[in-house]
Amino acid sequence: MSVATKTDKIQRLAELAAVKETSTGASLWREAFRRLKRSKMAVIGAIVIGLFIVLAIVGPYIAPFSPTAQTWRNEVFANRGEFVGMRSENWFGLDHLGRDMFSRMLVGARQTLLVGVVATMIGLIIGFVIGGLSGAFATLGGDTGRRIDSVIMRFIDMMLAMPSLLLAVSIAAVMGQSLTTVMIAVGVVQIPVFARLLRGSMLAQGSADYVLAAKSLGVRKRRIVLSQIIPNSLSPVIVQATLSLATAIIEAAALSYLGLGNPDPAIPEWGVMLTQAQRFFDNAPMMAVYPAVGIIITALGFTLLGEAMREALDPKLRG
Amino acid sequence: MRITKSRVARAITAAVAVGLIATGCSSERDADNESGGAKDTFVFAGAGDPGSLDPALASDGETFRVTRQAFEALLEHESGGTDLVGGLAETWSSNDAGTVWTFNLRKNVKFHDGEAFNAAAVCANYDHWFNWTGTYQSSAVSYYWQTIMGGFAKNEDPETPEANYKSCTAKDENTAVIEVKQPSANLPGGFSLNALAIHSPKALEEYKKQDASAKGDAITYPKYSQEAGTVAGTGAYKITKWNKGNSEVTLERFDDYWGEKAKIKNLVIRTIPTEEGRRQALQAGDIDGYDLVAPADVTTLEKEGYVVPTRGVFNLFYLGMSQSANPALKKKEVRQAIAQAIDKENLVKTQLPEGGKVADQFMPDTVAGYSKDVKQYPFDTAASKALLKKAGAEKLTIEFCYPTEVTRPYMPAPQDLFELMKADLEKAGITVKPKAMKWAPDYLDATEAGSCALHMLGWTGDFNDGYNFIGTWFAGFDKQWGFKDEKVFDAVNAGSKMGKAEERTAAYEKANVAIMDYLPGVPISSSPPAIAFGKNVNPPNVSALTQEIFAETSFK
Repeated sequence: MSVATKTDKIQRLAELAAVKETSTGASLWREAFRRLKRSKMAVIGAIVIGLFIVLAIVGPYIAPFSPTAQTWRNEVFANRGEFVGMRSENWFGLDHLGRDMFSRMLVGARQTLLVGVVATMIGLIIGFVIGGLSGAFATLGGDTGRRIDSVIMRFIDMMLAMPSLLLAVSIAAVMGQSLTTVMIAVGVVQIPVFARLLRGSMLAQGSADYVLAAKSLGVRKRRIVLSQIIPNSLSPVIVQATLSLATAIIEAAALSYLGLGNPDPAIPEWGVMLTQAQRFFDNAPMMAVYPAVGIIITALGFTLLGEAMREALDPKLRG
Repeated sequence: MRITKSRVARAITAAVAVGLIATGCSSERDADNESGGAKDTFVFAGAGDPGSLDPALASDGETFRVTRQAFEALLEHESGGTDLVGGLAETWSSNDAGTVWTFNLRKNVKFHDGEAFNAAAVCANYDHWFNWTGTYQSSAVSYYWQTIMGGFAKNEDPETPEANYKSCTAKDENTAVIEVKQPSANLPGGFSLNALAIHSPKALEEYKKQDASAKGDAITYPKYSQEAGTVAGTGAYKITKWNKGNSEVTLERFDDYWGEKAKIKNLVIRTIPTEEGRRQALQAGDIDGYDLVAPADVTTLEKEGYVVPTRGVFNLFYLGMSQSANPALKKKEVRQAIAQAIDKENLVKTQLPEGGKVADQFMPDTVAGYSKDVKQYPFDTAASKALLKKAGAEKLTIEFCYPTEVTRPYMPAPQDLFELMKADLEKAGITVKPKAMKWAPDYLDATEAGSCALHMLGWTGDFNDGYNFIGTWFAGFDKQWGFKDEKVFDAVNAGSKMGKAEERTAAYEKANVAIMDYLPGVPISSSPPAIAFGKNVNPPNVSALTQEIFAETSFK
């Protein structure tokens, strides 16, 4: 995707928040929630995410076996391509070192979710601060403010111009191999998206009548930004966060896949499991299928909900 | 703008893409441009790029894989075996002390550049190496010369060993006499190393005009060794092109070769780093053979009709211990506890290629000098715990380094081997701190410097002499192991100065007992690395030393 279209899309999302002078923040959310409940996409997405979160929380407690114990290591012969598939004891079979795949999938869910959430939070928080500052300068800072905004935005554009996976790989390569690195790398990639989104949304709010009213009443600028503009600019950012979670999980899987994840390969994480399974794909394809399907379904769940939220919050689609 | 659909589509595409990557759909190279009719190009894939086209500057198998096709040494190994036979020398002999080596050279041998091979050419080569200066004296460049012949005419670094090489004389046109100061276990085996292969004297003159340079650890090799054209040996193939962009070396049949000429006109040696990539390239017909086959792929390939010959066992895989990195390792109880904690049998049974054996000393049982009387440390977790308690090291925490993205002939899947050993150690109550490192240079540098308390490495023998194994590690203080034990060093060195092979063998047997009494590390296994060829290929004799000669290959 070119930078232009990427920027356009973010801008479009931001615009959506603009045309709602008639409604207060609260009623918009209430209405959006009503519409969400009617959307099949949202319901399916929410169920998938719900299941995933429940799994991530209870997984380690309900896992029948230890995910790291090589209990059956004398039954799997990776050197001869002899693996153990589904059986009554091990529902998903064994992995290449004789560990229970089902337990690894359950426990791996937590790591995978953790990476997704933490990475998105990193992107969201830093992006929020940068975008918020930039937006505040642009709307209320006068000429100097616009110039500062311009500088910050060019910097953000530069970050956007870099292919996200490449950026993430570079960061991971510099920081070395660890789960934290993966989270930071994936998070940093999200920063410009959130920053641009919030700033665009704030610009749209900046010219709204209530802001003008607040200005005329002599409300201090900082207060206008914090209590008027930002709360009204939040919805596209929240939608984006949901969508980002999906991308974050996929990107984290990709980084783990490239061998930049946790240095202890015994700790299950779906991306890592996928990498390890690849070598044995000819003889034990199911070893790759479980984590791959897990990643695909989860990413789809977040995407569906995110899409539905975006539609629900789109004033132009209001019936 | 219609973002809705495209976003969903993008997410699905991304998810599917990840799935696809997982299934190993790697991109394939363009098929070879076969000019119809009979195939006249044999394409073989290795795992890494060669470092130089001059074998004298190399110490790695990937380089020798290429140079072995174009360069020959005075002695060679019997095709597919480990016994020494005549190479460029038809016969050879030494005095009783093993200090004067006389070579009766083969007649009517020509170099690739048309020069004639004779005793003067042999001496020109040995004197060229002996008189190396500057960066050439770095052990990273002249590793094998230093291993076999010691240092140089004028050593520039005090760390460089003293020269054992004395002189080379051309007694007549076809008789060369090489003299050394001390008898050495590395002779005559060393004369067979491709690193000491004979180059054309005309090419040597060109080499001398160029210099290698070094910046820190990074070596810049001389230009002649980085492009085809200058280097010239006597082998059945001559190197015509090195396309670094495509990671490909092209060789062409040398029509004036003295022996049986190559059966296939062109030979291409290509680099494909991953096991899956090599296997897929063979299955797709892009290549005609490859080395370092993942053990699990052997049965798959055999079932599909590919030719997967079995090599002999001539390597050793071990768990190394650096006593300087973790002082707890200075206690023998701790080292023994680690040795007894590891289920070697399981590693060999589940991870190493078929035909792999559990090792009980730092030498495979195919090498002269293997002892049947070494102390055994059987797998026993309870004994291991007891030993740790005795040593007061119940809460032992130890760093364990392992290499990523690499397979070696002795170590097919390092990460899996690491995980299994880690689990074994943890069962004995040891806390293992894993450290993943890139193979080159990080892992190799760290293990060599002795900064990895536990690490995995191995060795494939260059020639059939026990010293080539135990002498590599235990001839003296070595940072990798970080210990000084005169009893071990003396026992290892006792054999190295004996001129007679039988005497040496007896000395090595004693040395193996001494080493395993001390237990500097844990020998784990010896295994035959697999090599695979296309369905229509008559493979060359495969070699336990991994020294295949592709001139023997033909298409069915």
